[in-house]
Amino acid sequence: MKDDSVKHPQATAEFLKDRAQAKWHDSAIWWVRQKRDAQAKQLPEWEELRRLAREIKAHTLSQLDDYLAQFEANAQKNGVTVHWAADADEHNRIVHGILAAKQVKKLVKSKSMLTEECGLNPYLEQHGIEVVDTDLGERIVQLRHEAPSHIVMPAIHLKKEQISELFHKELGTEAGNNDPTYLTHAARANLREHFLTADAGLTGVNFAIAETGGVVVCTNEGNADLGTSLPPIHIASMGLEKIIPKLEHLGVFTRLLARSAIGSPVTTYTSHFHQARPGGEMHIVIVDNGRSDILGNEDFYQSLRCIRCGACMNTCPVYRRSSGFSYSYIIPGPIGSTLGPSRDMKKHGSMAFACSTCGSCSNVCPVKINLHEQLVLHRKKAFEQNLLPAGKKMGLLAMRFLTQHPALFDLGGKVMRKVVPIIPESLTRHSAWSRAGRDVPPMPAQSFKELYQQRSQNKKDKEGQQ
Amino acid sequence: MKIGLFIPCFINELFPHVAMATLELLESLGCEVEFPMEQSCCGQPLANNGDSKGACDAARRFTNVFQRYDYVVAPSGSCVSHVTHHYDWYIAEDTAYQQLKPKVYEIIEFLQDVLKLEKLPKPVYFPHKVSIHQSCHGLRELHHASPSELMMPYHSRLEEILKLVDGVEVLLPERRDECCGFGGTFCVDEPELSTAMGEDRIAQHEATGAEYIVGADPSCLMHMGGIIRHQGKSIRPLHIVEILTGRGAGT
Amino acid sequence: MSARDNILARIRQNRPAASALPDMHAVPFIRYDNQFEAFATLIRNLGGDAVQLQDGQSVSDVVAARWPDAGRTIDLTVAQHEEVDDPHAWHDVDLAIVPGQLAVAENATVWVSHPDNRFRSIYFLTQKLVLVVPRDAMVDTMRDAYARIRLAEHGFGAFISGSSRTADIEQSLVMGAHGAMAALVIFV
Repeated sequence: MKDDSVKHPQATAEFLKDRAQAKWHDSAIWWVRQKRDAQAKQLPEWEELRRLAREIKAHTLSQLDDYLAQFEANAQKNGVTVHWAADADEHNRIVHGILAAKQVKKLVKSKSMLTEECGLNPYLEQHGIEVVDTDLGERIVQLRHEAPSHIVMPAIHLKKEQISELFHKELGTEAGNNDPTYLTHAARANLREHFLTADAGLTGVNFAIAETGGVVVCTNEGNADLGTSLPPIHIASMGLEKIIPKLEHLGVFTRLLARSAIGSPVTTYTSHFHQARPGGEMHIVIVDNGRSDILGNEDFYQSLRCIRCGACMNTCPVYRRSSGFSYSYIIPGPIGSTLGPSRDMKKHGSMAFACSTCGSCSNVCPVKINLHEQLVLHRKKAFEQNLLPAGKKMGLLAMRFLTQHPALFDLGGKVMRKVVPIIPESLTRHSAWSRAGRDVPPMPAQSFKELYQQRSQNKKDKEGQQ
Repeated sequence: MKIGLFIPCFINELFPHVAMATLELLESLGCEVEFPMEQSCCGQPLANNGDSKGACDAARRFTNVFQRYDYVVAPSGSCVSHVTHHYDWYIAEDTAYQQLKPKVYEIIEFLQDVLKLEKLPKPVYFPHKVSIHQSCHGLRELHHASPSELMMPYHSRLEEILKLVDGVEVLLPERRDECCGFGGTFCVDEPELSTAMGEDRIAQHEATGAEYIVGADPSCLMHMGGIIRHQGKSIRPLHIVEILTGRGAGT
Repeated sequence: MSARDNILARIRQNRPAASALPDMHAVPFIRYDNQFEAFATLIRNLGGDAVQLQDGQSVSDVVAARWPDAGRTIDLTVAQHEEVDDPHAWHDVDLAIVPGQLAVAENATVWVSHPDNRFRSIYFLTQKLVLVVPRDAMVDTMRDAYARIRLAEHGFGAFISGSSRTADIEQSLVMGAHGAMAALVIFV
């Protein structure tokens, strides 16, 4: 489980102590951003696709209750059992209930950030069910008892040496063999056994089609497909915002998802599930867990358009240099930094400030969420709820006052320009400005206002002389 | 045509030469420029930290001070962007603001779009290599260039205007528009990260072989300048108006 | 009130402003002059290959030439193909030849939804996947594809592009994550 008590500035400072690792993390993820650019560039209609995706999602959210009811009815017609969960606990109880009814001992799971959000794994494990995450990255972090540090690349915080060591211990691979192909194929062999012996499979949902009552799951590895085509039970857990109206709309979203997420034209498998495999049963659990509240918030409801591609993380200069574990919410990066504070401002407030407001995230977002603006809007709530550090709040109130009193503002500036140069460096170097290796700017003798006044005076004098 | 010169608060105190260069450049192009003394901060630091009341008051003050001018011009993309793109969050209903909004320009925008500048008031010879620092708000809010994320035809206001300068060699860093890490109060909220971002950005500018990092936002230049000075590097941050007035190399 | 009714009521109460559905067909999407070439170029980077059947050549010729030592082989393109009673029984299939109904030039995917196949597990358990697609069943983009596909197989259908792959270890691309280690598309 994720440590949700971390505060971004402190956790990041810690992460940055190993600059070599941090630089590697930055470059590895920037590489994915570049791959995304290369894919996007190949489609002349890229920006139009983003517009369409945004508008389809906006429309869907504006009639979400109708589309959900339509989806449910059509899924039921297909013979699928539909469940509704108001919150994480209810989701976990429903999933456990389905599994317990069939005496399931082993569940294979494909990637689902929703089940991370709900804490499903520990819940099921407490109830004696073995849960095997099957996405390679998820499996790696599961074996390390960690949370995913990225929503698409769960183990991007790890070097291959660390994974080799882990697999040596857990899967009996050769010590010191760091070859990604060797390690991947070792995991393949191990997980094949789990697929073949599992009693049930659980997947997330990328898209749920109201018109057909089916769900779409996209993976490169094929783990969702193995996990649902072998065991007799398929449970699909979905956040209620995953709905799209019609099958044809996938002609927009499947074009955007993998290109945005991993810089690939498509995922290997784009699978459409409408019924269980013969002899099996299929369940869909529709989860609210705070989403309907976000829907009602004018400033933040757009975040429900998210298709979880992770492009905002890959482009974020802050995320790349701080890693997912510096964010307290289970979803890190820009999208997590709006979803987290929407859920619990007290706990996740620091995420809203982990942003230089560069705006790159909003530009890569395939559904055009105004991410960087949402973070600033969350800061409003943080300020109002008195969650800013006391010193900072005082500073802001002083600034608020001075902004309305320019003469005092100028006086303050003047004092700064006169005093800073005579403060010994030993005192300034521990300031927030300087402590990480940044000198204060040289202090000019005069402000522009002073220079301008002099200049005007000189002009007047000159005119007077003539 | 009467121009109100908007000099953001930190430029007033720390970069008066940039403000003066802006004023002189406009005057030498025949503009009538006035600097209203009662101006203060545009309120961006307050807004970005959630102080809506402070931000709202600052926006009203700005509107009151500047509404009497035909144009308002400032040498900072970020502060202009706050006025033109974010005041709507606070005083959208203020008709004086709505009338003022389209008249507020960043200096390069003003030179290119209003004055249609085709040559500099006096010829400038600047035989140096410069690496363009495209600041984020100028880029993604004011559209000063095509952001690398968007699939659109390439353009860059800064590169365009530097074509008017003789001898200058314009270069672009790898990751042409990544943030330098200043980010307003972000730079002191997360100093380790902010500085790390700045170090990376400076290294990319250095790798072009440039002698100067040239941008249109003094805040980013101040942040990178602080790191450059701390590390004793030779590359120098430079505001683009200082080149356009022909004083660049002297500063 | 049930969880369902509660949730739907809350959503109804919290509905954002009305917003029209855009016309996704009004936007021109990319077209390919040579769809096969686009498809084949792409799939070679995705752990797969694509060929067009030459005159006088059969699918089994192409497959045998490529994998002369293939183990258990199942050919779903023939009407009388082997069947099993349990999806796990495909676990040792080495090579599966599967009919694909449609190919997409922009991303080298093939739509697979076979009305005459019982357990889809074969597509994912097989080590080598051969997809056989009529050469005129090719469209430019996914938009065209969704206008033409049918869900024919027990409510299941998938677009499959190349072989199973992952880059979860240091972003190194490795073919053969859980599904097929190799993929070949034969246009007939």
